[in-house]
Amino acid sequence: MANVVDLYIDYVKKQAISQPEKSWDKMVLGFQANKLKTKLLPKKDISKGYQKLESMMMSFVADALLKEESYVWGNIFAPCEIMECLGLHTLSIECLSCYLTGYHLEDYFIDFSQNSGIAPTLCSYHKTFVGAADSGVIPNPAYAVTTSLSCDGNLNTFRYLEKKKGVPFTLLDIPYEADEASVEYLADQLKEMTMKMADRLGKKFEEDKLKEVLRIENETRQELKRFFQLQKEHFYPGELISQLYLMMGTHLLMGRKDFLELIRFMNEDIRTYPKFEGKRILWVHLLPFYQETLRSYFNSSPDYQILASDIIMDFGGTLDTEEPFRALAQKLIQNIFNGSYEHKADILCGLADELKPDAVIHFCHWGCKQASGGSILLNERMQEKNIPMLILDGDGIDKRNSHDGQIKTRLEAFLEMIQTESKKQTQIRKAEEMEGTAC
Amino acid sequence: MLGYICKYAPVEVLESMGVSMKRIEPSVTSFNQADVLMHPNVCSFAKGVLEDVLENDYEGVLLTTCCDSIRRLYDVLKQKLPDKFIYILDTPRINKDAGIALYESRIRAMIKAYEEFSGKTFSEEKLGELLKEREDQENLHQKKHAVNIGILGARADESMKSILEEKGVNVAFDLTCTGLARKLLYEKDAPLTGYTRGLLGQFPCMRMEEAANRDRLIRTYADSVDGVLYHTVQFCDNYSYEYAWLKEILQKPMLLLETDNTKQSYGQILTRIEAFLESLPKNKPHKTGQTGAKDGGPVIGKKAGKNKEENKMYVLGIDSGSTSTNAVIMDENRKLISFSVVRTGAKSGESAERILKEILKKANLSREDISYIVSTGYGRVSIPFADENVTEISCHGRGAHYFNPAVRTILDIGGQDSKGIRLNEKGEVVDFVMNDKCAAGTGRFLEMIARTLEVEIDELGAIALQSKTDIEITSMCSVFAESEVISLIANNREKADIANGICRAIANKSYSLLKRVGMEPEFMMTGGVAKNPGVVRAVEEKIGAKLYICPEPEIVGAVGAALYALEQWQNER
Repeated sequence: MANVVDLYIDYVKKQAISQPEKSWDKMVLGFQANKLKTKLLPKKDISKGYQKLESMMMSFVADALLKEESYVWGNIFAPCEIMECLGLHTLSIECLSCYLTGYHLEDYFIDFSQNSGIAPTLCSYHKTFVGAADSGVIPNPAYAVTTSLSCDGNLNTFRYLEKKKGVPFTLLDIPYEADEASVEYLADQLKEMTMKMADRLGKKFEEDKLKEVLRIENETRQELKRFFQLQKEHFYPGELISQLYLMMGTHLLMGRKDFLELIRFMNEDIRTYPKFEGKRILWVHLLPFYQETLRSYFNSSPDYQILASDIIMDFGGTLDTEEPFRALAQKLIQNIFNGSYEHKADILCGLADELKPDAVIHFCHWGCKQASGGSILLNERMQEKNIPMLILDGDGIDKRNSHDGQIKTRLEAFLEMIQTESKKQTQIRKAEEMEGTAC
Repeated sequence: MLGYICKYAPVEVLESMGVSMKRIEPSVTSFNQADVLMHPNVCSFAKGVLEDVLENDYEGVLLTTCCDSIRRLYDVLKQKLPDKFIYILDTPRINKDAGIALYESRIRAMIKAYEEFSGKTFSEEKLGELLKEREDQENLHQKKHAVNIGILGARADESMKSILEEKGVNVAFDLTCTGLARKLLYEKDAPLTGYTRGLLGQFPCMRMEEAANRDRLIRTYADSVDGVLYHTVQFCDNYSYEYAWLKEILQKPMLLLETDNTKQSYGQILTRIEAFLESLPKNKPHKTGQTGAKDGGPVIGKKAGKNKEENKMYVLGIDSGSTSTNAVIMDENRKLISFSVVRTGAKSGESAERILKEILKKANLSREDISYIVSTGYGRVSIPFADENVTEISCHGRGAHYFNPAVRTILDIGGQDSKGIRLNEKGEVVDFVMNDKCAAGTGRFLEMIARTLEVEIDELGAIALQSKTDIEITSMCSVFAESEVISLIANNREKADIANGICRAIANKSYSLLKRVGMEPEFMMTGGVAKNPGVVRAVEEKIGAKLYICPEPEIVGAVGAALYALEQWQNER
């Protein structure tokens, strides 16, 4: 079985390189096969909830890609709620890049875009997608939506795709300051975009439907907060990639009933799992899902469990369903990645207070200036809270920028450090108890 | 004094309050503080500003939300300099009415904050008066008889412009954010609103939504010049998109120039600009105005050596590279008389003296027999006896054409950099791409790996040819690659396989250089690394074509220099 899969992957990879325009259908077929596999033969080592999550995300992408008119390209922050009301799926280019790694094509696409002049120092998610589109592998959708949040690459990548491939797009300019003027400015843009898309794509927009989507979204967010709390208590085996699937869910399927039901299921299911006795990690920024050392330490590990990540819960508030456009504007403006780094550090400190992790790991993804540039500031804040923090450098997608030896040494030293620290704490506690008994 | 960096900053508002405003243009020698306080991968300009602000005495800094790196710069400055006026203006990307209204309210908030900080007051009337006084300036300054160059891309610093000026090049336009005249609008009834409209209505930079105007203007402007210099800053990725797009549509020659705001990068900028100017149809290699042989006056055929034919003239080409210094002597019939290769020591001038003695001895000639000397290579300006210097890029082009006129694409891998050069049928450079500041895929890199593998550098290629199993060396960085090699050794992998893995890694890097420059056959490889059969085989496999390699691949640059010397001597005659 494994051999057949590998042969197919290799075959599609070769064709994507030699005859790009002919390879797409075969790629989509592969995604369909993988969808079936995750349904019928889910990974044994992970919990039921994460199995279902993986299968849902596979179906979401594989099914959307089957019908070109069913989706728009977006970035991960594009308001999927509005697209949902227009009867469209949002396929984020970051996620699509990850899916393309299934065919081991990331190196080829990254080199392709760099060879056309795109900066090697750009985010690898963007380079992969630009390469895939530019080389002619990916077909065009009718429209695309991006936000200026959370990085410079968004506007520039989508503008480049418009110029080179002719995919029209809307840029949502997310203002930096979180105040009334910004909300008004952005809410107007959201309304304008909705009307423009409905008109251009021949779709009907109903505000009541959007209100309902936001209501479901609010419920989902509450359930997710519960899930994080439960994950603190129970050993709920998952993989690094499970975190990315969860991020996909909270960005591309937010407001959908099936996603809400999945999180509800996870909240029930997790209670049937044993108590978690290992170290709890709060993860900051992206996860290099392919990275061997990190996988060996975190995948289905009873010793180290990732509790939550800022990329999954980048907005924690409640949306006002009566004013849906304003609510979506607020959601984007108050996002953890918008505004000053202090805003981000405050939210992460709040999350740390709630979830009480044993350690924080910040992964600096190659090319991501907005995240890496503040990592030292976050480290200082975590030091104040006496939470050990590790900064790892690497790449979320391009293996060539993540050196295993370096990651391994740093990670192992850090884990040894937190283990020693906790042993010390236990000894102190025991000594105190002994003293108490002696008295 | 307040520092600022962005053309969207409301400089005139603060000036009307009596503040002296300084545009920060960092030129630093290191990023010691920035690398500790931010992250090494943040844009070099932002890191440079951080160093500059920490070193100098500003009252404060006014930033805009122009890009990710600057947003993080604000966070760091705000934390490190709590007593100064560190302010970031939320600058919209949309320049329609909604954007103007929002920006005006942001500017008003900034004014209030500064009034509170400084005790100064703002008057809209005063701003109006100041705006009335200043006028717009025209951007295009074309000159008929000079070489006209346009500058595009990210902010261009002074060193770049002064190089162009020294070369007698006319900068017809500079559409980077530092080169544009400010667009000031004066509206009598609402000076600040009008002013804000003018600010946001400037020639849009890459962060702005409205870029259609930008594209149109660039096309119009670019058509009017001889060449375009496209500047980007290291770790600022925004402009590379435009470069990638322009590369396909622009008819004019274009040079991509990446800088990092450090003083050390001057030499590299110089080489690239010179080579680019040399490649323009309107231009010829320049005179250096150096003393030496020129002042003494070239004397032809005055003294006859034993083996020297009477009345023959000779020229010398000398290529002062980072690893080796190479020289050739050529006669007027373009015949190579002799060549010599020596290791470049700490001082390139000394190696040059050494090689001059050596080659003259080999050719049985004396200094006076040489009519003209052209130097090339990194150390080309440090050779006192040269009459002229030409960049190694043009020289490699000439040299390659001399050995094999069918060659169109050259891969040159030297000690510390690698280049892809594309030629036309006359051997003139049409385009080139350089990879430097990074040892990956260079001669130094191979030396380092050979040391790690405990083999001689000359054996490395031969060993690689014996490889039976493919190993992927994935790291792009030479430091990482070295530790990857160490892990492979630790895992008992075969030396031959590791060596071949390294050769293939170099081939991959070379392939991208060649792709960027355009892959037109025939292919030639030059530089010391062309002597490594492992690398040659790996490159040939990667590009799917044979590489032409001349008997002494290290001297191609020096031969090119000699050809220039010959041409120059004939011209002078």
